Amino acid sequence: MLLAPALQLIWGSLVRDGSPTLANWVDVLTSPRHQREIVGTLLLAGVSASVATLIGTPIALLVGRMPAVRRSGWLALLNVAANIGGIGLGFALVATIGSVGMVTLALRGLGVPWTPPPVDSFEGLVLGFAYTNVPLFVILTLPAFGILRDDWAEAARVSAASRTQYWRRIGLPILAPFLGAGWLLIFTWSIGIYSLAYALAGTGGVQRVSLMTLRIGTTIQSDVFSTWRADVLAVILLAFALVALWSYRLLLRRGARWFR
Amino acid sequence: MSAVWRLARPLVQAGTAAYLLLPILAIVLFSLATRWTSSILPSGYTLDHWTAAFGDPRLVAAFARSIGLALGAAVLDAVLVVPAVYWSRVRNPRIRTVLQVSAAIPFALPYLVIAFGILTLYGGNPITAQLNNTLPELLLAHTAICFPFMYWAVDAAMSAAGIERLAEAAETCGASPAQTIRRVIVPNILPGLVSGGILVFATSFGEFAVVQVLIGGSFETVPLWQADALYSTNPRFDELAASAVATFGLLFVLSAIVVAADRRWAARFRRGGVTAAPPIVETGAAIAESPTQIADSPT
Amino acid sequence: MSVRVEGVSKRFGAVQALADVSLEVRDAEMVALLGPSGCGKTTLLRMIAGLELPDAGRVVIDEAEVTRVPARRRNTGMVFQSYALFPNLTVRDNIGFPLEVRGRPAPDVRARTDELLELLQLTAQGDRYPNQLSGGQQQRAALGRALAPSPAVLLLDEPLSALDALVRSTLRDEIRRVQQQLRITALYVTHDQSEAMAIADRVAVMQHGRIEQIAAPSELYDRPATRFAATFVGSRNAAELAVVDGRVRLGSAFEVTVPAGTTRAVAFFRPEDVELVREGPPIGDSSGSSGVSSGPAAGQPATIEVRLFLGATTRFDLATEVDGGIARLSADIPTRDAAGLDVGARVRFRVAPGLVQVFPVEPGGGA
Repeated sequence: MLLAPALQLIWGSLVRDGSPTLANWVDVLTSPRHQREIVGTLLLAGVSASVATLIGTPIALLVGRMPAVRRSGWLALLNVAANIGGIGLGFALVATIGSVGMVTLALRGLGVPWTPPPVDSFEGLVLGFAYTNVPLFVILTLPAFGILRDDWAEAARVSAASRTQYWRRIGLPILAPFLGAGWLLIFTWSIGIYSLAYALAGTGGVQRVSLMTLRIGTTIQSDVFSTWRADVLAVILLAFALVALWSYRLLLRRGARWFR
Repeated sequence: MSAVWRLARPLVQAGTAAYLLLPILAIVLFSLATRWTSSILPSGYTLDHWTAAFGDPRLVAAFARSIGLALGAAVLDAVLVVPAVYWSRVRNPRIRTVLQVSAAIPFALPYLVIAFGILTLYGGNPITAQLNNTLPELLLAHTAICFPFMYWAVDAAMSAAGIERLAEAAETCGASPAQTIRRVIVPNILPGLVSGGILVFATSFGEFAVVQVLIGGSFETVPLWQADALYSTNPRFDELAASAVATFGLLFVLSAIVVAADRRWAARFRRGGVTAAPPIVETGAAIAESPTQIADSPT
Repeated sequence: MSVRVEGVSKRFGAVQALADVSLEVRDAEMVALLGPSGCGKTTLLRMIAGLELPDAGRVVIDEAEVTRVPARRRNTGMVFQSYALFPNLTVRDNIGFPLEVRGRPAPDVRARTDELLELLQLTAQGDRYPNQLSGGQQQRAALGRALAPSPAVLLLDEPLSALDALVRSTLRDEIRRVQQQLRITALYVTHDQSEAMAIADRVAVMQHGRIEQIAAPSELYDRPATRFAATFVGSRNAAELAVVDGRVRLGSAFEVTVPAGTTRAVAFFRPEDVELVREGPPIGDSSGSSGVSSGPAAGQPATIEVRLFLGATTRFDLATEVDGGIARLSADIPTRDAAGLDVGARVRFRVAPGLVQVFPVEPGGGA
């Protein structure tokens, strides 16, 4: 159910009008439009994953140290946020930071000379992706924070280390592979986000941000004679995802090497 | 130094809470607002959008379809995953690798790509092509993409319950594999099964790409309805807001059940030593894998 | 350098972890804190390390009050129960860590870690990571890290509890050797009374957040000051007896006087102090120095229920009828004198009154 479609896509990307060819790949890779989409996807996923890591790490640290009851409450909230997605979230974000969104109106009302970026701009998409990505990152990495044992921090204190010294020498090096792994998961997740991007950036008219998923979507629906474009783009997505996932496993193994 | 740390904590908490809650608050207000264009808060409140939204048979039908589809995927996944994981743990560890790889694929492959792959795969052959654009195909596709959530939840639950030893004990008591699963395994992994099922449900319920590509408008689910409400020539923003709030509410209730199930479970299986944060959700288990092992083996 | 706590108390919620505890560890002395889990011994240790703040009282290290001084400025060395070795650092870097964070120059750190690796016989393992070491090696590495900054006091929190029996006794002796060689003041937390007795100059027996008795091991063994100390130290027979005419007696095995005003008392006596008297003619060449004598029917009659071979001694579990009830006790007899004493045999036993400790039982129970 899962492997066969992937193979079918690879096959499809190598065939045009019934005969095998590499022309599909050449066409896609040399087309400035598709190049923009590939770069746009990678950039958006990279920035989104970095934002999620930078914001998510302190939150995970905090939530991980909470007493059980309070932690459950936060987890429920994070869970909802991580699972909210797609059209509903897209619309909620428009209602919050759109041109007549609540926050936009509030800022205007307070006379703050700053308006949130348009939701269909790159910054807007980063902000939108972050809404699910940050909670997802927290939920994904929270178990890893459990490996930081309290007595390491205590041993460091008794050893005369400051909190900063502890984090620099012990805490972060131990966590780094797991944070990196979290980054990769969010990256993988972000390159494949479709419905939220669809809701925020739309498909028709002038698109400010070019994304591979959006292109695949429009190709499937409206461009039935050149689905090979979608095939090639899907295989590229697949390749990115596989590389990211492979690095993820590598990183996890690295992270676990001190614990075997 | 430590003053900075002490100050940072409530600031981070408040900031996170605001960030997570603001859009929800905004859309709740939006669904209740009469007119809301220029002031910080709406100028008036009404339940009209809610009655309009849920008085619309199209949306009600979409909710019914989404719920049915999600339930179907959850049940199918449970029926497939429990025996498979049990077998992989008790009898044949080699299946484990296969299961783990299958669980990784839906996370690595964008749903859109999977959907597209399925479509072209079946489309290439006149017999299988009949399956395209049908409900069974959609149900199977959702079962497949939601499989990892069930797999991780059940696998973690079986590991926590020490299913290998339970199975051996049941076998020495003379139980058949089917009896063992029904009488011993399932009761012991119930919280994991419940949280896995809920995650499958939530994922399937909110899934947009696969439904759009595989079946499109002929089986309108809630996300499809929402997309249509957003982009149709005559947008229905107010009802969209109401439907989104209803979806969020459903999600929140489900999440609360997951967390509660997890806590009961954690209390039941709590073991001495380092207690890692429970892998609450879905993919959490992916990273959790190694730390759990760390916590289990004394260093 | 000495360590002193004066009247410290600590409460965790409803639990009184420490109640007005005072203790002094003299220069180069090793004191063991002995007690069951939850008695407050670890809390006391962590308080000296600076990992817990007392609700009341003072902590003094080397004649300077450090009650409110953060852990990292106290100059203590601590070995954790779990070792708490940093998994991402090699053994060498773990040991060097306290020096490094104190900003010592690299050559000094290197020299000191080399010295400690040598002292702890870890030179060959210096570049390994903690997970590549055996339990005993991890324990020594943790000791090395604690010793590296030449701390004013070495704090050991159940350092051997994670090891198996064989390694445990070797390492116990090793810790003692290093402590005496470096003449370092040390506090050792354990729940194992034989470990405490073996390693420490003095043992402090703790219960319910209080120190019940602090004494040299031999004194503690021979003259426990409280009922709890008697229960906890050494393996002892205990019998709760009614006081009659200011005296308690266990049948005709012994009879001792108790302080005036006591109505019930508990008597403790050690298995090796129980003397068995065979019924009937003497067997073999048993003289008075052994635990078995024979002769006229003296002592309390009993039946052997269990016979356990312990090596040099053999343990007999006896049942005897006292005041209409059955009492059970253990007796340790040199194995060479134990021939012919089989399960079911009738014997008599007695205990020299001087070897029986008696503590009054208050009506509400307790010591």
